[in-house]
Amino acid sequence: MNNIFDKMLNNSWVELILRCSLGILFIYSSTHKIINPAGFAKIIYGYYLFPHYFINIIAIVLPFMELVTGICLVLGVFPKPAAAIINGMLTLFIIILTINLIRGIEFDCGCLSFNTSGDFTHAGWVIARNFLLLLSGLYIMFFKKRRLFCLYRNS
Amino acid sequence: MTGHERHLSPFKDITKKIITLVVFTITLAFTVNYFSPRGIPVFGEWDTSIGVISPEKNVDHGLEINYVVSAKKIFDSGKAVFVDARMSELYKEGHIKGAVSIPLTIFYDIIDDFISKYPTSTLIITYCSGRECQDSHELAQLLIDEGYEKVKVFIDGYPEWKKEGYPVE
Repeated sequence: MNNIFDKMLNNSWVELILRCSLGILFIYSSTHKIINPAGFAKIIYGYYLFPHYFINIIAIVLPFMELVTGICLVLGVFPKPAAAIINGMLTLFIIILTINLIRGIEFDCGCLSFNTSGDFTHAGWVIARNFLLLLSGLYIMFFKKRRLFCLYRNS
Repeated sequence: MTGHERHLSPFKDITKKIITLVVFTITLAFTVNYFSPRGIPVFGEWDTSIGVISPEKNVDHGLEINYVVSAKKIFDSGKAVFVDARMSELYKEGHIKGAVSIPLTIFYDIIDDFISKYPTSTLIITYCSGRECQDSHELAQLLIDEGYEKVKVFIDGYPEWKKEGYPVE
C-alpha cells in the first residue's frame, strides 16, 4: 500500500496531469477578468477588504498573474516558481474567502466567472475547492523527480 | 550559466525566478491595460461618501442628488418623473411610488414609448440600488443622449428611500 502511495507521489505522469490541469484552470479563470477589468474591480470592491487605492491595481495585475503562471505550468517554464506563486495566490484566496464567510457577507467570488444572476456560490464550497487546488500546487512545487514535457527544465 | 548562478542555494534560486516572473507579469499587465480599449485607470473612485463608485472615474457627480431629503422634496413638488434603472423583477418587488421602469438591458426597446409619454423637457430622476450601483448613471447618460435636458441621479436609490419610510408601491 505504501509502495503504491510512494509511486503516486513520485510519478511524473501524475505531476504532468496536475500541472496541466492547474495551469489550464488558471488560464481559464484569468480570461474573463482580463476581458473585463472594470467588472473584476467591482468584484474586488465587493469583498469589502481592500484599501480603495489597491482595488484597480489588483484588478489589473492579478488576472495576468493567473495567466502567466498558468501558461508557465502548462508549458513547463519555471514550473516550481510558478507553482509557488499560484500557491501564494490560493492561500490568499482561502484567507479572504474565510474572512468573508465568518463575516457572513454574501458576495460574488468572481473566481471562474462573474455572476450576473445574484445567485452566489457558497463561500464554503469555494474554500474547499481552493484547498484541493492548493494540494495540487504543493505537489507540483515539491515534486523532485524528472518533470515531463518541460520547455525549460532547468527550474 | 555563470559560476555565481551555479552556487545559488535552491531557496535563492527559486526566489530569483519568482521575482523575475512577478516583475515580468506586472510589466505585462500595466502595458496591456494601458493600450487596451477596456483598460481602467490605476486608481478608481471607491469612496461612497463622494458619490456613486466607479472603477473608471467616468461618473458625472454633477448630476447627483446626494441627500434622500432632497430627492423627497423633488418628489413632493410633483414636477419630476422618477425612473427605476433596476431589473424588472426588483421593480416589481417594490419601487418609488409612481416610478417608471427602464431596465438598462431593454432601454432601446422601450425608450420610444417613454419619449412619447414624457417630453424631453421633463425633469427626470434616475435611481437604482444605491451608491454601489452605476446603472442609474448609465441610464441618465442614455436619456441625455436621447435629448432629455434635465436629468438628475438620486444616488442613494430605492433602499434608502424605503428605509426613510417614503412612499413606495
